[in-house]
Amino acid sequence: MLPGRHRILAGLAGALLFSFLLGQGLTQIKVSVKDYADFSRVTLESSQTLIYTIARRTPGAIEVSIDSANPIRIQNGPVSSRIIRSVSLIRQGTRHTLSIESKTESFNFNYYTVGNPFQLILDLREVERQAEAVSPRPEEKKPSPAVEEKPSLPPPQDIRRPAASSPSASRTIVIDPGHGGIESGAKGKFGTLEKDITLAISLKLKSIIERNLAFRVVLTRDKDVEVGLPDRAAEANNNNALLFISIHANGSYQKSSRGSETFFLNLNATDEDVRRLAFFENTQTELQARIAAEQDYQDDIKMILWDMAQAAFIRQSGRLAELVQAQLNGLLGTANRGIKQAPFKVLTEVACPAILVEVAFLSNPEEERQLGSEEFQWNVAQAIYQGLVNAIREFPAEDSRR
Amino acid sequence: MIRGRLLVLVVLGLSLVLLSLLFFLSGGGGEAVKGPPPNLGGNEPGSHPGIPQLKKVVLFFLSEADELLHPEERVIVSGPTPEREAGRVVEELIKGSRQGLISPLPAEAQLRQVFLTKEGIAYVDFSREFSDQHPSGSTAEMGTVYCLVNSLAFNFKSIKKVFILVNGGEKETLGGHISLTEPFLPNFFLIAE
Repeated sequence: MLPGRHRILAGLAGALLFSFLLGQGLTQIKVSVKDYADFSRVTLESSQTLIYTIARRTPGAIEVSIDSANPIRIQNGPVSSRIIRSVSLIRQGTRHTLSIESKTESFNFNYYTVGNPFQLILDLREVERQAEAVSPRPEEKKPSPAVEEKPSLPPPQDIRRPAASSPSASRTIVIDPGHGGIESGAKGKFGTLEKDITLAISLKLKSIIERNLAFRVVLTRDKDVEVGLPDRAAEANNNNALLFISIHANGSYQKSSRGSETFFLNLNATDEDVRRLAFFENTQTELQARIAAEQDYQDDIKMILWDMAQAAFIRQSGRLAELVQAQLNGLLGTANRGIKQAPFKVLTEVACPAILVEVAFLSNPEEERQLGSEEFQWNVAQAIYQGLVNAIREFPAEDSRR
Repeated sequence: MIRGRLLVLVVLGLSLVLLSLLFFLSGGGGEAVKGPPPNLGGNEPGSHPGIPQLKKVVLFFLSEADELLHPEERVIVSGPTPEREAGRVVEELIKGSRQGLISPLPAEAQLRQVFLTKEGIAYVDFSREFSDQHPSGSTAEMGTVYCLVNSLAFNFKSIKKVFILVNGGEKETLGGHISLTEPFLPNFFLIAE
């Protein structure tokens, strides 16, 4: 009996070890470093999903600790970057640490992951020290955690998601502060400019989201610069955004106009366009099959689909508008102008649910005064945040795109 | 009897000769003899040469009271083409209301041209003041667009859509919000009851 049992155990152990070696093997991580206009990106592409923690133990370096039973091999070439000096691997038993060393200590960074193949992406951005000192408008300063005050409204409900519940690819929310630079938007009687108000509210909304949700927030601008409308949409599309929120303050010919409204796109479609749209919405799979079959028309059809980037999301955008507007009415208490559709240029090319919030009127002296107040701006951010939370709860957790 | 008949014939013949003589004497410059053209064309009753035909149109302006578009009648010179008439409507919109309503077209703007396609798209080209002098703001921009589009579509059956051009070219937005890269359909829901 005994020798037999030993033999079975040994066999089992051997099989386990064999299958383990066969299934796991070596984890390969490909490291690439690339400079963009105002940031540098480190991409870690791995053959397997990585379990990692990220820390900045020294001001000049970021450490990515990877927990892996398998040996890890990194594949990297020489680093040539404005901000990043080197990327190196340190082994300590089963703990592997990738150290990303920066040339400067004054940088901030954010990171996110993309699935299939697994990619961990870290963006390092040099902090402009001068910008803060020179900035004439206090609301343009990035709120540092120490400065952040609790909004006057009750703390938002926490809907932090467990890390595994949704694909990280969907986890970017893009906030678009309207106008900027020489393009100042609507102007108030007392000189308030739309571009300043939209940025102040957007920065506050960003900080509320980041404090309460596990989403990454990208702003289309974080200072007073001009950004083209197609670039704003591209920011959402390149980040595979879950939601796109454009923030504006309204202006009217009538001084008495007041209140807040939320827009989503109106394609201004003719009957024919509407029919075409309905066709595409109903037969997505047929369309896919056709794309595969008719190679010649592939580019054309892609173009049509791209033309309608926002079209596929109109329904969700409408719902998002509804949920945000409900909070503007309830939490903020401005007059309800409802949800509306209009051909806003910035929304047309966004390929995710997208809305444009028009908070109060700069052309109304009373509302201009309100828009200039920090407290009102916090309340706006809080109301929009609550609307977003409700939408995220309602929308399917998985990426709505295929 | 026969003598009397002869006399009549002679008189007729003489008068014929006299008439033809008169014709040739005055007819040195052949063209000048032609009757004045207005008389030739004057088939319609009540038309007076030199006085242009008039046409009643309805313009839409904004009201401070309800943010809707309110009608205001105007009389414009009619003809010769729908483009020219549409141009006169646009110029009246720029001039503004006579009843204290708000014109959302900047007073500094000038109409450059109106061009109408067979498909019913009116291309309305404004000078750059149309966008430069615009106060910006979503509501203000929509007021401008639909004041213009509704006024044109309401008065001219041949205008189905309106494409707004600025200084001869396509502009991305009017004041940073509303897209001008596509033609607009009228929106009659914005008109007050």
